[in-house]
This record gives sequence, C-alpha cells and structure tokens, in this order.
Amino acid sequence: MTFFKRFLIVFVCGIVQVFFAGYSALILFGFDINWHINNYLFMFIPGILIFVSSGILTASYYLGDKKTNNILYDEYTAIRYYKIAAAGYAINGIGIFILFSIQDWASWSFQNANNMIYQIAAFAWLTFGVLLTIFSIGDYKEHKNG
Amino acid sequence: MGKNHQNLLNNLEELRKSAGLTQQDLSESAEVSRKSINAIENGIYVPSTVLALKIAKTLKCKVEDIFKLPK
Repeated sequence: MTFFKRFLIVFVCGIVQVFFAGYSALILFGFDINWHINNYLFMFIPGILIFVSSGILTASYYLGDKKTNNILYDEYTAIRYYKIAAAGYAINGIGIFILFSIQDWASWSFQNANNMIYQIAAFAWLTFGVLLTIFSIGDYKEHKNG
Repeated sequence: MGKNHQNLLNNLEELRKSAGLTQQDLSESAEVSRKSINAIENGIYVPSTVLALKIAKTLKCKVEDIFKLPK
C-alpha cells in the first residue's frame, strides 16, 4: 500500500457515494434527467465498494510491510480518521432524526416507506461521500507537500 | 518554544535542527509519517506518550526538554 493507492481507494469510494446520493436526490425531488439506473442491484455498488475497500485497507494494515505501515497508519492519521467518522455519525444522526420527523406518519404507505429509505440512503451517502472525498484529497496533499 | 498547541508547548523544531535531522529523518527513526512530525512541530497535534518517548530517544534528550505544559 502507498499513499497514492490509499488516496485512490478512499477517493473512489467517496465520489461514487456522492454520485449515488446526487442520483437519489434528483429522483426524490422529481427531476427527470432522462437517464435511469434500471437494475436495482446497482444500488448496492457504494456498499460493496466500501466493503471491498475496507477489506483491502485492513489486509494491508495486518499483512503489509511494517515499515511502510508505520508511516501510512500512524497515530496522527488514525485520529483524523476517528474525527471523520465521528463527524459523519453525528451529521447522519441529526439528518436521520430530521428525516424521520418530516415524514407524513398520519397517512403512511409503502410508497412513503420506500421514499424514506431513499432519503436516508441519499443523506448517508452524501455525508460520508463528501467527508471521504475531502479527507482523501487532504491526506494526499499533506503527504506530498507538508 | 515554537508554534504551540493550546495544551502543550513544544520545542521540537529547534531541537531537531540542532541535532542535524530533517523531518524525514526524525519520522523514520520514530516510526511515524513525516506529516506527523510536521503537525507536532506546528502545534496541530499532541503526540502519544510512546511517540514522545521515541522522539526524545532519537534526539537524545528528555521528553520534558521537548514538551512542556503551558503555565
């Protein structure tokens, strides 16, 4: 693993999540972009990417070269990851609470439930997608420049 | 004391330079990334006890020579 490979992995995860969040938001807000993801299985892509990427990073942490890992996964980087995760969970918590609060519970239907799932997915993807993208760029820039 | 964190004053940059080491040299010896050393020097980050001891060992001085609590 190198800084560039890690940047690439985290950046792709983030940007794909932002893309799916944008796509879901457009559908939810009723904008017709004349382009649709026809197969619902594609909606698993962000989750699968996160799962695979976490696996690759975890494997590189435990199985990779120790000297390289001391640099790649040092305590300063770990603390920044914790901060990103904490910010993501906090924003998601508030967002999901708001999304729950604005639902029309008086006339609840499967359509409403389906929409809420999309709203939550779009919000979570957007939150973590933006955080991961910003983090990956900042992390790589710092490695290159200081 | 250089650029400091609000909870910890540090003298790392001065001591590192007087030891004739670059940030890269120190980071390799302390087994962390160069940006960690940079972040400590600039008061952005407070290191763990283990890392502080590794840095002190490399610079052949006491931890108290590098880091001090603000009064």
